[in-house]
Amino acid sequence: MMHCTMEDLLALQGGEASVWAREHVAACATCGAELEALYQRVAQLKALPTRRPGRDRWPAVRDAVLAARRRRRERWGVWSVAAAAAVAALLVFRPFWTTSVDAADLARVKAQSATLEQQLRRYDPDGQVTSGRSAALCAALEDGIAVIDGELAQLDPNQVQARSAELVQLWQQRVDLMQQLVSARVTRAAYVGL
Amino acid sequence: MTISLAVPDVLVARAKAGDLEALEALYRAFETPVYNLALRVLRRPEDAEDVLQETFLEVVRSIKQYRGEGHLWGWIRQIAASKALMRIRREQVRQTEELYEESVAGVGGGAGVALGVDLERAFERLSETARAVVWLHDVEGYTHEEIAEQMGKTVSFSKSQLARAHTRLRWMLDEGVAR
Repeated sequence: MMHCTMEDLLALQGGEASVWAREHVAACATCGAELEALYQRVAQLKALPTRRPGRDRWPAVRDAVLAARRRRRERWGVWSVAAAAAVAALLVFRPFWTTSVDAADLARVKAQSATLEQQLRRYDPDGQVTSGRSAALCAALEDGIAVIDGELAQLDPNQVQARSAELVQLWQQRVDLMQQLVSARVTRAAYVGL
Repeated sequence: MTISLAVPDVLVARAKAGDLEALEALYRAFETPVYNLALRVLRRPEDAEDVLQETFLEVVRSIKQYRGEGHLWGWIRQIAASKALMRIRREQVRQTEELYEESVAGVGGGAGVALGVDLERAFERLSETARAVVWLHDVEGYTHEEIAEQMGKTVSFSKSQLARAHTRLRWMLDEGVAR
């Protein structure tokens, strides 16, 4: 007669046994006793006395935690100093860097403005036929340019370096208006075939 | 071992914030079950103490990741079991196993020794892997799937280890080898 293996008994204990194993253990006294012994062993394993640590390991854990925190603070300290140095360097070199960039931009927009001035001179408004609408548009653009020229003229020469970004912006606005003015006049000239 | 210890949420919250007193309170609450699990699996008190220490260092490092799903003991036990199993894999522990088995075999219990003591001795004489599987499955209530995952083995391996361990336990108890 074939009896249950230990695998069968453990499967019975875990509620995963085959039909054959369930029927066999119900009919076989030997396997029934084996299953009971298995239950007993597991129960006794669970009832084994609880062992306690002989030494207190908390001080070692605490020291390791504190040491890790100290290292983290020190690491952050180094990073903070490095970050502060980087910011300081940025502040020290920024005026030079910014000025050089702004100066280049200023030169660029001034050159654009000069080119547009030359283009505008080629189209003499007084010698062209113009519509009232185009004339009004050109007049508005010229007024805008005049306003900007006035603002540029009012800039204190001592503040020009400190306000270089503002200067570049004003010149850029002037260039934009002049491009529109050139476009308006060229378009009109092309339209009338001149 | 049944753990019915409930830990107040406020204590866990303080521990997550890095409060050392709260962390120590957690240590005091769970040091015995962690040590007991590690000792049952590893057998050597110094190894079990090391696992206890490693477990709580990990708890301190990772407590912010504990989301409160399930009992805190389940989360800590997972760490402890992992640390103990990792230690099993270390060569030095394996090397001393045979010597230790011989020394345990030499200690006699004599007639009239309680069955529990016999079982404890027999259990200690199992291999470390077998002890880990038996303890995690039969006492801590792990499924074979969980054990397999923790050990990096298959479910069949876990089932087979458990069956072999119980066969050996039954034989040692029947033959009185553990006495």
